[in-house]
Amino acid sequence: MKKDLISMEDLTLSEVNDYLVTAAKVEKTPLEERVKLLPGRIMAALFFEPSTRTRLSFEAAMHRLGGSVIGFAAKDATSVSKGESFTDTIHTVESYSDILVIRHPGEGTGRLAARESFLPVINAGDGSNQHPTQTLLDLYTIQKDLGKIEGLKIAFVGDLKYSRTVHSLIRALMMFNVTDFTLVAPESLRLPSHFMRTDQPGKFTFRETEHIEEAIRTSDVLYMTRIQRERFPDILEYEKVKDSYVLTAEMLEQAQDHLRVLHPLPRVNEIAYDVDKTKYAGYFPQARNGVIMRQAIILKHLGESI
Amino acid sequence: MKNTEQMQMIPKIELGIVIDHIPAGQGIKIMEIISKAEDMKDVALSLGLNYESQKLGRKDLIKLQMEYLSPEIIQQISIVVPGVTIKAIKNFKVHSKVVVQSPKEIRNLLECKNPNCITNSEKHVETHFTALEENCKRVRCEYCERVFDLKELHALVD
Repeated sequence: MKKDLISMEDLTLSEVNDYLVTAAKVEKTPLEERVKLLPGRIMAALFFEPSTRTRLSFEAAMHRLGGSVIGFAAKDATSVSKGESFTDTIHTVESYSDILVIRHPGEGTGRLAARESFLPVINAGDGSNQHPTQTLLDLYTIQKDLGKIEGLKIAFVGDLKYSRTVHSLIRALMMFNVTDFTLVAPESLRLPSHFMRTDQPGKFTFRETEHIEEAIRTSDVLYMTRIQRERFPDILEYEKVKDSYVLTAEMLEQAQDHLRVLHPLPRVNEIAYDVDKTKYAGYFPQARNGVIMRQAIILKHLGESI
Repeated sequence: MKNTEQMQMIPKIELGIVIDHIPAGQGIKIMEIISKAEDMKDVALSLGLNYESQKLGRKDLIKLQMEYLSPEIIQQISIVVPGVTIKAIKNFKVHSKVVVQSPKEIRNLLECKNPNCITNSEKHVETHFTALEENCKRVRCEYCERVFDLKELHALVD
């Protein structure tokens, strides 16, 4: 049976672990061996909205495995702009390829494509709903950088209300027995309470604060996000908070030695450039891990072992 | 007046469907569901209200002169008034009966309230919700994964 990757909510802990193990194997395999794994296979990258990093990361992953890529990078370049339905686009492209990678602003598009198509479907982001490959690469980065996931103290900073990356990663970390979370956000962008809901009362601690300093001192991972101006109904409110979460190298002098600063990118001003040169900066290697994790995902979903 | 005499206010039927054990006051909702179904327009129907019931104290009751109730109507009843009994009558006797339970899944009936959900732009796609609890008070869209109170999505649900 074909296997899709649509939502982190579909995955068990052992399935998530399986992706992490496969990614580690991919990374250990020399590039010249990796490129022999998927000759002649075609990945269709259907990007109905622009997303440069995710698309390039998937394309690089497929090329590194020796396969090739077809697709489009914006819906203006497709028949959708002529009025074709999403499902018709899927049914057409599935005749041209072996695996579908789909990014779409509409929520539920990954699930719909998976139900419609006989090919494996990878959700590369459906509106504000799910972006499972980002979550898996974040988990892989944390495990690789810190040697484990379980028991770490993890802080999230910035827009915790709307960031699907944050929501999805918190739920996944809870599965891995991460119990200690620090949530740094302005009042108007706090994490919605249902993401903290659990059937194991007392197990998890969510410390909510508006001050980043405490998080820097105590955390193992500092996961930064961008605060978007358009999220604020009141521009004055935005002006008030926009600089309160700018991380600088000087602030990191308080950090534990092994702290990793991660960010799904792109950053705007929330991480100062002087942080890039510190030992804490983990966000560019994180992007590199994205290609490795996506190679693991493509291999698994094409039924290839490594 | 005894219960048996009351029951005769609606005549016995030789062949048909009885929807029984409707909590008093809810019968009218089932009437609404039935009256909206195109294929039910010509079906003879009796509605009894506020009958005495050992099980419920008071109950409503509906009799229909027809052989089968469509799965679509049964699905709606299961959402709006779960727990009712649907009996098939043949030769004036109960031929079969089933207690309608709250559904675990609801297909092609509710519309997702999330304007950004793909089921709202691809109208040919059947909607699909799953119940988060036994009583189906909260449901999740299987496409956009948003969670709703069932009453937000169906006008007849309290």
